[in-house]
Amino acid sequence: MKWNIPSLEELEDVIWKCTACGNCKTAYDFGPPPFYGEICPAGVEYGFDGNMASKGKIAFARGILDGELEWTQDFVDAIYKCTVCGGCQNQCELDHKPFIPEIIEAMRRKAVADGVGPMPTQKVIAQSMRSFDNPYQGPRRVRTDWTRPFKKAKNPIKNIMKKDAPILYYVGCTGAFNLPVRNLPVATASIFQKLGLDFGILGENEICCGSTAMRLGDAEEFKRVAETNLKIFKDLHDNHGVETIITSCAGCYRAIKKDYSLLDEYEDLLDGIQIIHTTDFLFNYFKEGKMKFTKELPWKVTYHDPCHTGRHLISFDIDEDGSKQWKGSYLGKSEDNCLYDIPREMLKAIPGIDFREMERIGSNSYCCGGGGGVMTGYGDWAAKNAGLRIQEGLDTGAEQMISICPFCHYNLNEGSKRIQSNMKLYDLVELIDMAL
Amino acid sequence: MTEIPKESKTDSRITKRLCEIVGEKNATDMKHIRYAYSYDLSFVKPKLPDYVVMPTSVEQVQGIMKFANQEKISVTPFTAGSNIGGLCIPENGGILLDMKRMDKIIRIDEESHYTIIEPGVSHAKLASALAKYNLRWSWPVGPPSGSVSSNALCHGIGGLSGRYGLNSEEITSMEVVLPTGELVRVGSCAIQEDAWHSCMPLPRVDGLFTGWLGTTGVITKIGVRIHPMPPILKVFTTSTQTLGHMASYLRTLGNYEICDDLTSVSWWLSQVPIPYPYKPKPDDAPEWVSFATTFSWTQKEQEAREEIWKMVVDEEIKKGSSLEETDYPEEALKARTQLPSQIVGSTKNYTKQAGAGISWPGTFTPLNRWEPIYDEWKKILIARNLSPSVRVTNYRGVHYGMLRAMIPFPKKDPEPIENARQAIVECLKVDLDHGGIPYKPPVDFGLEINKRAHPGYVELLKKVKHMLDPNDIMNTGKLAL
Repeated sequence: MKWNIPSLEELEDVIWKCTACGNCKTAYDFGPPPFYGEICPAGVEYGFDGNMASKGKIAFARGILDGELEWTQDFVDAIYKCTVCGGCQNQCELDHKPFIPEIIEAMRRKAVADGVGPMPTQKVIAQSMRSFDNPYQGPRRVRTDWTRPFKKAKNPIKNIMKKDAPILYYVGCTGAFNLPVRNLPVATASIFQKLGLDFGILGENEICCGSTAMRLGDAEEFKRVAETNLKIFKDLHDNHGVETIITSCAGCYRAIKKDYSLLDEYEDLLDGIQIIHTTDFLFNYFKEGKMKFTKELPWKVTYHDPCHTGRHLISFDIDEDGSKQWKGSYLGKSEDNCLYDIPREMLKAIPGIDFREMERIGSNSYCCGGGGGVMTGYGDWAAKNAGLRIQEGLDTGAEQMISICPFCHYNLNEGSKRIQSNMKLYDLVELIDMAL
Repeated sequence: MTEIPKESKTDSRITKRLCEIVGEKNATDMKHIRYAYSYDLSFVKPKLPDYVVMPTSVEQVQGIMKFANQEKISVTPFTAGSNIGGLCIPENGGILLDMKRMDKIIRIDEESHYTIIEPGVSHAKLASALAKYNLRWSWPVGPPSGSVSSNALCHGIGGLSGRYGLNSEEITSMEVVLPTGELVRVGSCAIQEDAWHSCMPLPRVDGLFTGWLGTTGVITKIGVRIHPMPPILKVFTTSTQTLGHMASYLRTLGNYEICDDLTSVSWWLSQVPIPYPYKPKPDDAPEWVSFATTFSWTQKEQEAREEIWKMVVDEEIKKGSSLEETDYPEEALKARTQLPSQIVGSTKNYTKQAGAGISWPGTFTPLNRWEPIYDEWKKILIARNLSPSVRVTNYRGVHYGMLRAMIPFPKKDPEPIENARQAIVECLKVDLDHGGIPYKPPVDFGLEINKRAHPGYVELLKKVKHMLDPNDIMNTGKLAL
């Protein structure tokens, strides 16, 4: 299979488009009224310009390319001290804008290829991926533990390899293995059952989407699991009637929608299959009046936009052949695929919900601090950063923070504990399940 | 870029001491961190600092300066590094003093209309805070992440400069750590700790720190005037075929003192982005377009301003001017009137096509010299395949004016950088010969200024510098003395 995952050297021309203006260092909109906010978790924590935003990461990339910067332990550490949240990318208007996360990950790929990356704690993930097909060192049989209540209630969840169904619920490793967020797949499956959907899971045959490996620069491991998954998806479509793959995990969704598309055969392999996030999927039912909230939740809630269902899904318009401006010119962006409004609309529709908005939202959402391998590599910083986000939520008067990403959910929960707050974390599907 | 920064020699003893002063997380000699401070947007050759330090308190700044002075280590102050004169490139290595962590807005006095801020406060942060009080500052055409205090200290300008002059003229008080580590205050806060309203009527010792390019001290707090924000914005836009006609219009309109900003740009600068390399202007496009920004409290006031503007236009046309009311290119107008601007901040309007580099001959030049200088600049720039993307602006009515060319260039290879540098220095010489003075000058400009300067002036500069900085550690070499 032919992958188009660029090397750092292949990105050199776009790297030289950065002016080092520093616009990426903070979030800002003219308004009126003007909006300002810190946007770079690494910048907030570490502060030096090299650590901060795309300005700093591009300096690192230039230093590698011009031979000035050689790998040292501290330097490798610095390129992994980034949540790859895309907050800096959102501020940039230059031609390298569409490639900013790619440049950061290309440095990591180089570090891995050169045998110096990822960081020791993150290497555990890589090893786990190879041994267990998931980043949590979870044995296969544990992957379906969350389905026990359904079995007990005599509503077992279909194993799609054994019984055909038009919908595959791709659970994701975090929901399956990470105990504090295990209610996410439970709530998702519960909603599906309440809606009478014919769906199944891969169960013990599900393997990781590869997102974590990709974010850490382990392209080979990513390719291995991605190719396996794509073949499974095609087989499910061709032989088991699968037309839709739903995932509740922002990381899986981003990986399947975006990272997998770097494969030449992507369109062919997924021909006839719709990939959709649970939130988006349920919204269609909600809009059509097929999903009605009947129970009241008198909660004061705020909503945290995950990077992977937000900024990472922005599509960029690039002048590929130079017919509009010049070859490679960044022409504009579309946020049509970003799940900004849908979760809010559904939250607000739940009877009794008192919705409070934080200041940094949508494309200027402040990352929870868990992405890009940071939660594994730098757990303390990840939780500290999550505490800042929790505080922003508390400042609105909210008592619950809702999200649609199990990674954010877990990390924000850690942040809440760290600052000893009473903020409770929920996934949107948990609220929907309660309100149905 | 491309030219490799000289390797520096770090000394672990010095790093250790700096860590003791500011804490281990805020001081480093790691090369990858230093490397990120070795270059900026400009043509100025990259140079590595030996140490980077981020103080979080005045006491820490004092500690750093005392230590640096004792050890005779150069110190380059840095807030955002977004100037285009290479002012934060450490010419002599040493300590890069990154002030971004001192970023508190200490006070917004909504009655007396001044604010006290720390050096790391960005335009974006202050704009957001002032908007809550319906107040504003003279936001520059620069990155929202840029520092308010650095802009003011370096005689930067902004969207209110047509009315109030330079942002340095808005400074009301300062707290400064001298290169030797002593803490001083200038302005009213020097007499009464809590009074930050005015530099006058005291002797203007604030002048020891403004326009000195960070070579005389580290400002740790600054008071600046802020202004109310009238609700009605009206922008008058015109065009002419020549800069002579445009200058006449700007002078006449400037006389009435009704504009916050009165600016004109050549066709090339009205494009987003500036064309790189040079391309000819379409025959049917005017060579100069202008915008005149007015703010009014009432509709009647706005109508009165419009009446004056129409009268000026009529007057100019009667003189035989090519002046016409015209549409200013939309995105460029947005970039210059919706400040602070992300379009400008990201340098999209300047160097998106060229990539990576932007520098200028930025000067204060009397209005009556604009046209002859522009004619020469145009020849110089076009000969080097660069766009004559020039801006002229009135300050404080017509008291003085700005003439500058924004020159984008790619930085991947050395040739285009040197081509731009030579063109810019050549333009600068022309301007200096006509009586203009460059602002925020890189060292190349400083050399040209000092060549022409009265010997007594240069000696005075040296004496003042020596008095404040006996070991010449502050931003060493930047004044090209």
